[in-house]
Amino acid sequence: MTTSFFELELPQELIDRAKAGELGAFERIYRRFERPVYTLALRVLHDAEGAREVLHDAMLKVFQRIGQYRSDAPFWAWLRQIALNEALMRLRRERKLDDDADVEYIADEGAPPWVRADALALERALGELPALTRSVLWFYHVEGYSHPEIAEMLGKTVSFSKSQVARGTARLRVLLEVVPDVDTPDGPHRPAGAQHERPSSSNSESMSCLIETPALS
Amino acid sequence: MSDRNAGAELSLAEALRALPLAAPPRDVWQTLAAELAPQVRRPARRRFAVPAAIAAGVLAIAALLLTQTRERPAPQIATVAPASASSVANGTNAANGTSVRNVAAPDPEAQLTALESRSQQLERWLSETRAAAAPLPGQDLAAAAEIEDLIGLVDVELAAAPRKDAMPLWRYRVNLLEDLTALRYSNYRLAETLTTASNGAPPDRIN
Repeated sequence: MTTSFFELELPQELIDRAKAGELGAFERIYRRFERPVYTLALRVLHDAEGAREVLHDAMLKVFQRIGQYRSDAPFWAWLRQIALNEALMRLRRERKLDDDADVEYIADEGAPPWVRADALALERALGELPALTRSVLWFYHVEGYSHPEIAEMLGKTVSFSKSQVARGTARLRVLLEVVPDVDTPDGPHRPAGAQHERPSSSNSESMSCLIETPALS
Repeated sequence: MSDRNAGAELSLAEALRALPLAAPPRDVWQTLAAELAPQVRRPARRRFAVPAAIAAGVLAIAALLLTQTRERPAPQIATVAPASASSVANGTNAANGTSVRNVAAPDPEAQLTALESRSQQLERWLSETRAAAAPLPGQDLAAAAEIEDLIGLVDVELAAAPRKDAMPLWRYRVNLLEDLTALRYSNYRLAETLTTASNGAPPDRIN
């Protein structure tokens, strides 16, 4: 059973105080959900500045609409939906929802390379997927959405969602099996194994520098 | 091979979930707090606005009664400050007769300039009348202190905000200054009236 990063319990009293307009309560809620929202946006957009704007806009909406929140659903799920909508809206604006997500399918064979790939290599490989494929993979594997739910969110079919997961997984396998040698960019390729080297692209570096360990709070 | 065995067990979902959470490069809360402050503080403003309006009304009647008992030319400051304060309290720009709160000018820069000008005008009046105003009663004093604190917070935000994001902050600052003006104006009028009355009235009439 997948557990979303968003699954954080909040005291009802804190939500009530935020509903009453207490800025301190807002801040506590913000601090709890800052990283899950930012991470989700970053996975969808693969753009640090865009993710920051999504975090801002989503949280602003949460606070403006918190009076409409009813306790019949978990608060985190309500908040996650707002964050997800913001990220997808941005993707739509940037026309990346219509990106060519037709990733070549390669049958999985042997041990998946993400077993031995480190976080940096996986981050980089994710970043190389088309935005839509990456988003579907994340929603399905990490946030625990079902294929029908993903299809509805994206305005696509269920089979589209399934194929994106399959193709994205296969593409990740290829990307993680073969990485460019940083010393000789045109030289031989080798597996992204335990002796992983730092990526040479500035984009990857800028992304990796944003990764921090989870907050102690 | 142990790697292969482990690989069989570790799904992509687990690998993705094992990625660390990312943190935004800059603190977003500061910006959010500045934008939220005008919204979350509205109840507080209403809380003080009603008693302030009632107090202002009572004081205005008292002032009227006192001035009627003692007709005397008002000092220079009395003829100028209340007039500007009155327009200030009504949210009316004394120069052009338009409301700053409801400025519908399409040019954001012009709006911003109007708000800055309005802010200066209100501050000037508050500064000029501070010495002449009567001490604020307890509840009003607390309200004034809170408003001044909020203005200080807005100023901190304004110092850090780029000009393109400054509009809501300036609007909020002007609203706060108008609230403060409404509070001070009542006491200023009272002090002015008492001063006027005491200049020629026997001591027993002042007390």
